[in-house]
Amino acid sequence: MTEPDVLLQVKDVSKSFFDNGKEFKILDLVRFEVTHRDFVCIVGPSGCGKSTLLRIIVGLEEPTSGQVLFEGHPIRADNPQVAMVFQSFALFPWLTVVQNVELGLEALHVDPVKRRAVAQKFIDAVGLTGFENAYPRELSGGMKQRVGIARALAIEPLLLCMDEPFSSLDALTAQNLRDEILQLWSNPDLPPEAVLMVTHSIEEAVYMADRVIVLSSRPGRMVAELEIDLPRPRNRKEPEFYGWVDEIYSLIV
Amino acid sequence: MSNSGEGVGRTGGVTDFHPIAKVSVGQILGLVEAIDEVGGVADVATISQEVDMDLDRLGPILGAAEFLGLVTVEEGDVRITDLSRKLLHANVRERKAIVRDIIDDVPVFRLITDMARKAGRPLSRQEIIDVLSARVGSHQAEDLFKALVYWGRYVELVRYESQSELLTLRTPSK
Repeated sequence: MTEPDVLLQVKDVSKSFFDNGKEFKILDLVRFEVTHRDFVCIVGPSGCGKSTLLRIIVGLEEPTSGQVLFEGHPIRADNPQVAMVFQSFALFPWLTVVQNVELGLEALHVDPVKRRAVAQKFIDAVGLTGFENAYPRELSGGMKQRVGIARALAIEPLLLCMDEPFSSLDALTAQNLRDEILQLWSNPDLPPEAVLMVTHSIEEAVYMADRVIVLSSRPGRMVAELEIDLPRPRNRKEPEFYGWVDEIYSLIV
Repeated sequence: MSNSGEGVGRTGGVTDFHPIAKVSVGQILGLVEAIDEVGGVADVATISQEVDMDLDRLGPILGAAEFLGLVTVEEGDVRITDLSRKLLHANVRERKAIVRDIIDDVPVFRLITDMARKAGRPLSRQEIIDVLSARVGSHQAEDLFKALVYWGRYVELVRYESQSELLTLRTPSK
């Protein structure tokens, strides 16, 4: 490989909204990179613009200045190498589990037989075998999010973006799902190549990430980029774990 | 067949699915993980604080975990069992197989799967509800039916089409 392992480059991204000629700065000169086999969490207080940042990164919104490069090229919203998991699951209630998972593949014009096989593979990976023909209303919150994850993984993206994927779930379901996502992540045969996750929970970031990017409150500026070198699986009760959590707290508050 | 023997089918009656009727697999696993993280044993108040859930919500999940033989509760202390440890170290597929062994032994689950096997055809939701209603009343029968479908799907022994309202048996994927 000529290029080093850089997958995503966020270059001095700023974002402002304008209201009656007044500028409201949301993000200010955010700059970082995501490389292959990187699990990066962006953490910051609510209103720091972290979800906006993620929307810019996946090409759903334009930055006011700066740019986002994916494999060296400006990001586009229809890039099939990037998939997104949403806080609200974003499932279609009139489609079954397998149909919801197949959606992304349909958009890529994958033929129906292959589509079904790929969808089944990822339904199985997230533990939803048995629920293929269930509708979202028949699922618990945790299972709905599994569908969201299976759908994102089914397009076999290089980069998986997740926007507060556990914050609509109760604490127990959330913890179980975090562990299962880390299990999937540890399997090199499965996509993605890198994960970029936004969260307001510092504990969650330290539990999951290789690197944590800390944003200040509005406008979101990068306060720190920390490498979490704790061995996995991590124990949230260990002093080293808490050392990291405390450090990040002190950076934000 | 059961490898726990600690709480499964204790009452032996048809309502014995009740403890797991309104609880999800993820919640039960999350609970077991949380107790494991604090050393494998904790009192209920500590767990409630740890997982940020009041007792009203935590109670049914604890009850479900106990019913499945994943924890023991004694004088307010909740302790995870060997079966729990096995589950914690298992992958998604192995977890299903472990839970399958437990669920398959629950009498009310057996009652319905035997019924489907003997009938040799799909069972309608209504005929299952009728069977359950005769035993537990129509109100509980609905909850029980939902739980049978949920757990049956999870352990891959049951297939249910909510549009045709037909239940069939299936063979778990390998």
